[in-house]
Parts: sequence; C-alpha cells; structure tokens
Amino acid sequence: MKTNVLVLLMCLWADMAWGQLQPKDEGVVTYERVQYWTKIYARLTYLSQEEKDRMKLTWGSDDEWKLKMKLSFNPRASLYTYESEQGETEDGSYSWRQDEFVIQRDFEKSKKTEIHEMLGKTYILEDSLAAPDWKILNQIKEVNGYLCMKAVSEDTTKKQKIVAWFAQDIAVSAGPEQYFGLPGLIMELDINDGDVLITATKVEFKKLDKETALPKLKGKRITEKTYTQLLWKHIDESIKARRNPYWAIRY
Amino acid sequence: MAHGQTPNKFSIRGIVSDTNKVTLPSATVMLLSPKDSALINFGRTNDKGEFEFKNVRRGEYLLKITYVGYLPHQQTITPADEAVTELGTIKMRELNKDLYEVVIKTARAPLSIKGDMIEYDASSFKVPPGSTVEDLLKKLPGVQVDENGNIKAQGQDVKKVTVDGKSFFGSDPKLATKNLSAQAVSKVQVFNDKSEQSKITGVDDGKKEKTVNLELKEEFKKGGFGKVTGGIGTQERVELKANYNKFNAKEQFSIIGLGNNTNQTGLSFDDYQDFRGSQSFSWGDEADFGFGSNTRSFYFGGDDGEGISIPVGGGARDRGFTKSYAAGINYNYDTKKTKFSSNYYFSQADQTVNTLLSRENFFPNGSVKTIDNNNRFNANGNHRASLRYEKTLDSLNTLIVIGNGRYGNGNSTFGSAQQLFRNSDVKTRQTTIDNASKFNSFALTSTLIYRHKFKKKGRNFAFSAAYNINNADGRNRQQSLNELFQASTVNDILRNINQRDTSLSRQNQLKSSLFYLEPLSKKFFWETFYNFSLRKIEVDRNLSDILSSDQPRRNDTLSQYYTTDYVYNRLGTSIRYSFKGLNISVGLAGQHFNLDGQFATDQTARSFGRVQRSFLVWVPNASFNYDLKNNKYIYSSYDANVREPSTRDLQPVIDNSNPLFIREGNPNLVPQVTHDFSVGYNSFDAGSFTNIYVSANYEYMVNQIVYNQNISSNLVTRTRPENISGGQSYGTYIGMGFPLKKTKATLNLNSSLNFGNSLTFINDVLNKTQTNGYNLGLRLDLTPSEIFTFYGNARWFLNTTKYSINSAQNQQFTNTTYTGEMNIKLPKEIYFSSRLNYRIFKNERFGFEQNQPILTLSVYKIIMKDKKGEIRLTANDVFNQTQGITQNVGANFISNETTPTLARYFMLSFTYNMRGVTNQMRKRNNW
Repeated sequence: MKTNVLVLLMCLWADMAWGQLQPKDEGVVTYERVQYWTKIYARLTYLSQEEKDRMKLTWGSDDEWKLKMKLSFNPRASLYTYESEQGETEDGSYSWRQDEFVIQRDFEKSKKTEIHEMLGKTYILEDSLAAPDWKILNQIKEVNGYLCMKAVSEDTTKKQKIVAWFAQDIAVSAGPEQYFGLPGLIMELDINDGDVLITATKVEFKKLDKETALPKLKGKRITEKTYTQLLWKHIDESIKARRNPYWAIRY
Repeated sequence: MAHGQTPNKFSIRGIVSDTNKVTLPSATVMLLSPKDSALINFGRTNDKGEFEFKNVRRGEYLLKITYVGYLPHQQTITPADEAVTELGTIKMRELNKDLYEVVIKTARAPLSIKGDMIEYDASSFKVPPGSTVEDLLKKLPGVQVDENGNIKAQGQDVKKVTVDGKSFFGSDPKLATKNLSAQAVSKVQVFNDKSEQSKITGVDDGKKEKTVNLELKEEFKKGGFGKVTGGIGTQERVELKANYNKFNAKEQFSIIGLGNNTNQTGLSFDDYQDFRGSQSFSWGDEADFGFGSNTRSFYFGGDDGEGISIPVGGGARDRGFTKSYAAGINYNYDTKKTKFSSNYYFSQADQTVNTLLSRENFFPNGSVKTIDNNNRFNANGNHRASLRYEKTLDSLNTLIVIGNGRYGNGNSTFGSAQQLFRNSDVKTRQTTIDNASKFNSFALTSTLIYRHKFKKKGRNFAFSAAYNINNADGRNRQQSLNELFQASTVNDILRNINQRDTSLSRQNQLKSSLFYLEPLSKKFFWETFYNFSLRKIEVDRNLSDILSSDQPRRNDTLSQYYTTDYVYNRLGTSIRYSFKGLNISVGLAGQHFNLDGQFATDQTARSFGRVQRSFLVWVPNASFNYDLKNNKYIYSSYDANVREPSTRDLQPVIDNSNPLFIREGNPNLVPQVTHDFSVGYNSFDAGSFTNIYVSANYEYMVNQIVYNQNISSNLVTRTRPENISGGQSYGTYIGMGFPLKKTKATLNLNSSLNFGNSLTFINDVLNKTQTNGYNLGLRLDLTPSEIFTFYGNARWFLNTTKYSINSAQNQQFTNTTYTGEMNIKLPKEIYFSSRLNYRIFKNERFGFEQNQPILTLSVYKIIMKDKKGEIRLTANDVFNQTQGITQNVGANFISNETTPTLARYFMLSFTYNMRGVTNQMRKRNNW
C-alpha cells in the first residue's frame, strides 16, 4: 500500500515535472477518419428512395472508408495531412497513391495555406485566416482521455452540419480538416450527422521541429473565394449530371 | 492606458476560483452571444486565475468558463456604465467526483450535463439484440440494477421511469424497464424531479425524486417495403412480380415471387440486390488462392440457368416462347463480428423453340448444306438453397463457411426434319428425329476459409477446404429415321434408330489451398500458395436398341462406363513490390496434373481400358499497376492459363454413336497453354467529366487442343483432337466520354479492333482461319431539361473471315445497330417513353441483308398518394419485327437460323411500390 502511494506520488511528480518542461500545447495528434458512403449517397437528391434503400441494405454494413490523418500543432501553427505517405491494404502488400492534401494554419501571421488535389488539378489555396463561426453547447464527453466540450458550426458550401468536440485542457486552437478556432484542440469532428467521423486516437506532446512547415508548393494558386466557387460549381454540376460530387472532392 | 471613454466598447474582468477560493489558472473563458451561443471571443485565466476581455462591443454576453473536473459555469453579463465591468471572483463548482470518474471517464460517450440532469446516448452502450431496457441500464455507469429490478442512480433509488416524458404503466418503474426493448431507446436521462405530491399540490416541498426518462428512437433503422407489378396483354401475355423486405439494423428478411410468359427469365440485377441485401456481393469468398489473392477479391454469385447460384440478369430471352416462374426467401443477419445469410430459391422455365436452320459446311472438295426444321421443348425446374456464415473470431482470425446446393429436374422433347445437300443442290440424306429425355441433377458446393493475421503487420496466412458434388441422371429416347439417297447398297438406304438409354454421371471433388504472405521489408512482400484438388468422375451410359419386336437389346458399342481420378497440385510463389501506388509482382507456379482413367462398355466388364497421364506445366505471372497524379492509371499484366485435356479426348476409343460424325480420342494430348499479355491506361478527370480508357491485349496459344477433321467422300466426318501451337489473337480498345455541354449533352466514343487466327487440319491440310473485327460505337446522351431526354446509340461492326485452304469461302459481314430512346414528361404526372432499336445485318457473299426495326412505346401515369402507384400501357415491337434471326460464321461453316419469337404485343400493367415510383426520364449512370 505504501509503495503504491509512493509510486503514485512519483508519477504525479514526474508528470508535473514533465508538464513544466513540456507544456501541453505542442505535439502531434493522430486521427482516424471514417467516411460512410451510403450515408452520403442517401443525401443525393437525384436518387430515388428505392435506390437509396437498396444501397443501404446492400452496402450499409460495409461502407466504411477509413483513413489515418495527423495534425502537428503548436500555438504558432498547425499542419494537417495523411499519417502515411501512401494508401494501402490492411496488410500493406498493395498500395495506392493519395491525392495531395495539406491543410496548414499559421496563427502568428494569421494566414492559411492548403494543398488540394481535386477536380483533375492541384490547387494551392492561400488566404488570410478566418475561423469558422462556432456555437458552444453544453454537452461534454470524453474523447481519447480528454474531457471535451461541444461546439457546432456549418459548412455553407457543402451544406454540412459540423460538430466539434474540443479538449478543455489543450489550449491550442487547431483542429482536423479545415476546422480550427476553438478555445481547445479539436479531438473529434463529426461532419453532417456522422457521414464522416474524425476521432483522435493518439495525442503525443513533443517539441516540433519542422512538422508544421509547408512542403514544396506546386500547383495553381487560388484564394478562398475561388476555392469556394470551384466547389460550389462542381457540386451543382455534379448533382445536375447525376453524379456523386464527392468522388472528386473531399467530403 | 489613457483611453477616453468609449461608449460602444467595454472590457470584462474577473477571477476564477473553486468553492474554497483557490484560484484556477488556465481555465477556459468564453464569451458567447446570448441569443445563439455563438463564440465571440475566448481566453485563458493567468497564473492568478484572472482573465480579461478588452474592448468588446457593448452589449449582453454569455460568459462560459470551463475547467477540467468542474461543472461548466455560465452567466449573463450586462455591461456596466464604466469602461470595465468587474465580475469579481467566480466560483466554479466541482464536478461530483463519482460522476466525473465513473460517468464521464468510463462512458466515453456523449453525455449532456444540463444542471443536474445527465443524458446518456443509448447507442454507445452495446447490448445484445432482444435486451430489455433493464439490461441497458445495467451498462450505464453510475446506474445499478439489483436482482429484483430496482434501480439506483448515483446511489439513490429511482422512483419513477417515464417514456418520452410520460409515465409508463403507472407508478412501478420496473414495468417499463422490464418490458421495453433496449433497441427502441435512443437516450436515457437521469435527473431529480419534483415529487408527485408537490406536482399535485403545486407547492414545492423541496423533495426531489430520482427519475429516469427514456427517449425513444425514431424508427429510421427499422422498416419494410415492397413492390408489386402485374400486367395483362394481348397474345395471352401476362406477368406478375412481387417482393417484400423487412429489416432492422441487424436483420434483413425478404421474399420475392414472379411469373410471366413474356420471356423474362431470372431476376433483374435490382431484384437480386433487393432480395439478397447485404449478401448480394461477397468479398473474400474465393477459396482457390493464387497469384495476388491476398488482395480483397470480389465475388458475385449469379450465372444463367444451370449454375449453383441464383440466376441473375437473364433478361429477355429472344428465342422462342418461355414461361417462367420463380419464388425465393432470404434472411441475413449482420453485425461487425458475425454475418449469417440463408436463402431458398425456386425457378421453373418452360421454353418452346421452333427453329429453321440452314447451315453450310465447306470442305476442300465441296460443301454440304443442311436444312433443319426442328422443334424443342424444355421444362426445367431448380431448387436452390444457400448458407453463408462469417465470423470474426478476434482481431486476427476470421472464419467463413459457405454452402450452396441445387436440385434440378426436367424433361425435354426434340423433333427434327433434316435434309442434307451436297454442293448446294444434290440431296444426299434426309433424317427425321423424335427424341425425348427426363433428367435430374444435384450439385453441392461447400467451402471453409480460415484467415489469420499475424501480429507482425503484413504477415498473413489463409487456409481453405472445399468439397463439391455434381451429379446428373437422365433417361433418354432416341428415335430417328435416316434416308441416304446416294447409298450403294439397299441396306444403307434406310437407317432406323430406336434407342433407349440411361445415363448417370457422378463427380466429387475435394480441394484445399494454402496461402502465406511475408513482408520482406516495407516495400517488398513474398507470397506463396499451394493448391490441391482430387476430382473423381464416374460416367455410366447404358444404351439399348429397341428391336422390331419391341424388345430392348443392349448395345455394347454405344454403352459406356468410365471413371477418372484427377489429382492436381500447384505450388506458386511471387515477389511483390508496393510503394505509393506503384505495384509490381513477378511470380512462377508449377502445376502438376495426374490423370488416371478406366473405361469399358460396362462396369461389369472383365477388362478395363486405361489412360494414365501426368503433366507438369510451369506458369509464369507478372503484373504492373501504377497510379499517376490526377486519377490516371497505367496497368499491364502477363499470365498463362492451362487447360488440361479431358478424359473423353484422351480415351483411345472411337465414339460412333453418331454414324455421320465419328469422334476419336487421342491419348497423346498434352495440356494447352494460353499466354495472355495486356496493357492499358485509364484516366478520369472529375473537373471536366472526361474519361479515357485505352488498352491492348495479345494472346498466344501453345499446344492448343483443336479438333481436326477428315471428311470422307460419303460425308462422314471423323474428328480427332490434336495439339497445335501458333494460334493467336490481338486487339485494342479505345474509349472516351466527355460532355459537349456540361450536364446537358455527353458524348461517348469507343472503338475496338480484334484480329485473330486459329489453326485446324481439314483432310490433313492445315487451314488457317484469319478473323478480323472492327468495331466503332458512339453514344450521345441529351438531358436538356426535366421534361425531355434522349439517349442515342450507334454501333458499326465489320467482320472479315479468310480461309487459307479455300479463299473462295472468304467472306465479310457488317452489323449496324442504331438505338434511340426518348422520354417526355407530360403534365399531370404522365410520361411518354419510346425506344427504337434498328438493326441492319449484311453479308454480301450470301446476298443476305436484314433490317429489323423494333419499336417499343409506353405511356405511364404515376398515381396515388406519395406517388406509390403507376399505371402503364406498353406496345412491344410495334412493327412486329422480332424474328429471332441469328447468323453464325465458323472456321468452315456458316449458319442461318430463324426462330419465331415473341414479337408484337400490348400490355397494360400496374405497379404499387411502397417506396414510391420514380419516373424513368433519366437513365441511371454510374453515379
């Protein structure tokens, strides 16, 4: 019993000492991003109820598309991209190329840089940083060991409801995908009632070196406004042409 | 800081502490808009627990402070007149330790804490199907249920259980929790309610009662739907089809039934998917592991007619007249760990086909023309049942068990009047046939697959075992009368055949496969597989001639008994490289066949003939796949396919059951190897909606098994299988699709070219048949508005065939098809649809030209509430042009066949679809 208390105390001490050396505001979060295709198809207005039900019954229990993502963060900047440099089967023996995708936030200069390979081109989106409009709700839950509060927002281009769960005790305003600007780090992101669920599976606090630095930028440079227009036009045309827009752009 | 008074800005200051006045540094402080909780600003308290929002716009705010381990604090701020609004010390209440540790930490589920109410999300707490709410409550942290069903929440007795806020079954809380299904509950709320007494009196006596409220789920996951279509038409045509599905989150149940005499056989693809639900397609059911079989292979059950799985996509039969009936029942159970599926399906097809066939065979020294007027009736019924069970034993082990069975029986009659002419005009023979048979068959396949993943990433092992049975029995009657007009003896002028036979065939197969994948490094993998198969075949045919006295006499020449054991072993290995979308694999397999056959005229024979052969073939394999930027892909592959000779071809016996067509075996045959090369490129540009596909393939045959022919002067053909190398074929395909005007007009073009030559010996002269095919297709989709759509399709096909031994027989034909489909939306939910299929077939050498315009018109109106009904009038084949004409060109023959088939008829039909009827203005594309 005594030794237990001692160990506990030592742990606490170690934790505090470490805590002092390493503030909990710099490190890398690993997220699991799961996309449910049949839920997304169920939102396509041009499909009949019969077609949606057929898809749901056939694929509903097997429509998860999982992807590991990582977010490197500190109070100055954050960078979000794939965890692995390639897409691969579970055993790794077959691989595929991933579309270029980098979301960088420079909180110091209030600037954002994003690389999107979509619609047959690579775009470099550069613009000033403007946080989404968040509403803070009363619910709390724990995600991966962190007590989180609920915040909601909306993607007006893709018409998506956004729910973010942010950690109260990681005082960094970063988050996965294009979301940020909350009093704490976003640990879970729910896009459109569970169509996509992004959950932190590992949080590692460490001193970052160049993890938030941008890779070489090669592509067509656009602003936020042009980016939104591109998406809007593509979604509109795809729906009219009866195609799922989200095969060619990120949901 | 010498600011003047700014009337429209102010600052907010405060200190955060706990109830013991200990300050809380790094607490999150948020400023929200009071009307919608929108986040306006946020910050953290400093070391002394202080916070300040400077220069915020004057107005009311909601201040929210959170700190781990404390209840969130919330207050409304009304700005004071001064520049700074001092809030003083804000005391945070500690979150009940039990509540925090037990409820929030262990539940990890979305919990709402609204004042003293805790809300649990029921879906986050897994309970087995059929569980009651009591079972669910037992799982909730902070809630206890004793053996009598009494509930305690946070240590206090629960006095009341409500459902959607209303009392349930009176005052006993257990009644609700013991009777209500956990599946129906979406949220569980635990809170302190005023006592019943205070509610009645309206005087708050300060007593609180622990209350549990159950919020019920919207029934979105549970449902049922069905559809029924019935039609009645001219020419005595009728059709009826109905299906019904019932499902919840885990189970799917469906039934289907159909019957028609409109030549629609089998289920449509959509019907099949509705019927089989989550088990329509199976992944990883391939049990014969081979090159690249660690990738998740896709298996789709379904073939036409006599296969083991449910026939799908049979569509319309364009030969003769068919009556079809089918009925089936399916049940699936699906969870992440266990998947179970079972179904039974019965189908019956009665087909009547009357054919006028004209066939001309060409030989070095002339030709033979056959005119055959025959009628065939086939009645065939099949019962099919299948079971599939998949269990994820744990994160590393998976087991799949599959069983499929089919029992079929049927009968057929065949009558024919044949005439043979030599060199087109000299009548040499006339035959009349009157055959009948009865048959039944039984097939069973059973498969077990076990997959194991090792802890080391990429290391994989799989084992499979299968046992298959395929049996068939039949009783046949052969009656025919042959008249030979050029026979030299009187005996030869008339040949009368009157035979009865029984045939039996038994086939059993035991198979097993092993697969192992080892990661050599991050990018290199080594895979190995082994396949074993033992197949036993037994065939017994007993034939008797019926003498003029009606007495049967066994015919030893035509009776046959044989057994064969095939043992097959294959061991293969390959090295695989995979990195960032570049996948290369190179491998080699050795295949060993061993064949041991015995044959005699009957199983009681004293001595048996014997065929014993074994072969070893080396089979290389290579593949290359590369993903380029922006959805462009290149691929290439090489593989070799081996076909072993059949026992029948190997038996050194002469089969003269048809005296005009004598077959001879060849015990020296070796396996045939086909080498296949292919290369291709695909690209999809989602921005411009443009697709491009380009591919080329080449095939080379080594030791191809061909049937060489020798035709005697009296037109008796003898064939013998032989190996020959050098047959080859190659082809290219180009396809592209792009919008002419985005969302309004799309054009698709495709072209394929195919060249091939095949080799056969005819009367000991090598004949090389060169066949070239040129194909060009064009498709135009016009979708200008919601009220008009048009889909046009054109296809041109040119085929040329050249024969080295007789260039006079060289020929070419063209086949052109134009299809147009037009849909018009009229007012009042009335739709008009027309489809024209115009086919032109030309063969100049034979002076043959056929024009066949088939027009189908329909008008339909969507009726009833929620568009659930549809009434439709269809005119099929308005010009009555369906003639069932087919022309076939072979190495040394050409045939032309006319089969009267269901042509013009009108049908009035009604559909009721519980999910609503959708108009067919737009064709489904690939989404």
